Amino acid sequence: MSIKVLVIIPAYNEAGNIERVVGNLEKNYPQLDYVVINDGSRDDTAEICRKNSFHLIDQPVNLGLSGTFQTGIKYAYSHGYDAAVQFDGDGQHRPEYIEQMAEEIEKGADIVIGSRFVNEEKPKSLRMFGSNIIQTLIRLTSGRNIKDPTSGMRMYSRRVMRILAFNMNMGPEPDTVAYLARCGAKVKEIQVIMDERIAGESYLNLSASARYMMVMSVSILLIGAFRPKIKLQEGSV
Amino acid sequence: MSLTFRILLILAAIWAFRFVIIEIRKSKLQITDSLSWFFITLVFILLALFPQIAEHAAELLHIQSPVNLVYLVVIAILIFRIFLLTVRVSQLDNKVKELTQRLAIDETDEEDEKK
Repeated sequence: MSIKVLVIIPAYNEAGNIERVVGNLEKNYPQLDYVVINDGSRDDTAEICRKNSFHLIDQPVNLGLSGTFQTGIKYAYSHGYDAAVQFDGDGQHRPEYIEQMAEEIEKGADIVIGSRFVNEEKPKSLRMFGSNIIQTLIRLTSGRNIKDPTSGMRMYSRRVMRILAFNMNMGPEPDTVAYLARCGAKVKEIQVIMDERIAGESYLNLSASARYMMVMSVSILLIGAFRPKIKLQEGSV
Repeated sequence: MSLTFRILLILAAIWAFRFVIIEIRKSKLQITDSLSWFFITLVFILLALFPQIAEHAAELLHIQSPVNLVYLVVIAILIFRIFLLTVRVSQLDNKVKELTQRLAIDETDEEDEKK
């Protein structure tokens, strides 16, 4: 891996997970740069990071995932990183795939998705039904077949980081991937295994999931058609 | 409901839709915040295309004219939106306060450390 990659770990109320997740990263992958971004957690997430002297950006108020992730992207962009990857603080994502993802960026991809369904069949559940809808909407609007659009494990090239860092409506969600694909970004998926979160709670309960699906559908299908195309700078990395 | 009124509703919906899209294109509106406005346009269009909805509902609620029901619905939506907006402003207010306090305290800490 010859490019510089920053691992961005957004953390909101992850006191039960953060020590294990970042500890594993530091111990087994010391070659990787990372930063934990505490999103104004109400639990001891920040204190635990300080106690372990983890690399930490501590946001004093809660911004939500998209604002928090953007903080990480801004940091990565201004510190000259060639790529940045979102890595969840709950232990769902495995660091062993980061190197392989970085290789795809080196080969010229703009967005590399750590995908559960490149070679594997999608299981039948309510959540995967939602994933299928988003997959279909992206295929309809951009012609790309993204098999795991809701995977949170995504790596971005520097030229995409620049767009994510300084524009509105560029949260780390499938609608952004769809929009960037329409702007000509190269999207690549690699097969990964994801683990279940161990402690804490996912922020996606039933009503939040319904809202999420509404926003994604309207954004990809309706708004996507009207958004002005951003020009990706020539020459990646 | 008269045809004129229904056309007016549709024009209002198109106008609102255009407005929302323009603001998103200019990066002045977040997509997550635009959703309720798309919902309002949808309600306008449904009421205009299917006047039976308003007529039946008016009958059910003993409201004299379906148009009055449309007014009622619009006012109810507006009041609800204003309430949500008030909550949002309150939260923003609080965040700005917390940021200011944190910034000011950090600055004092830095100065104290220098001494």
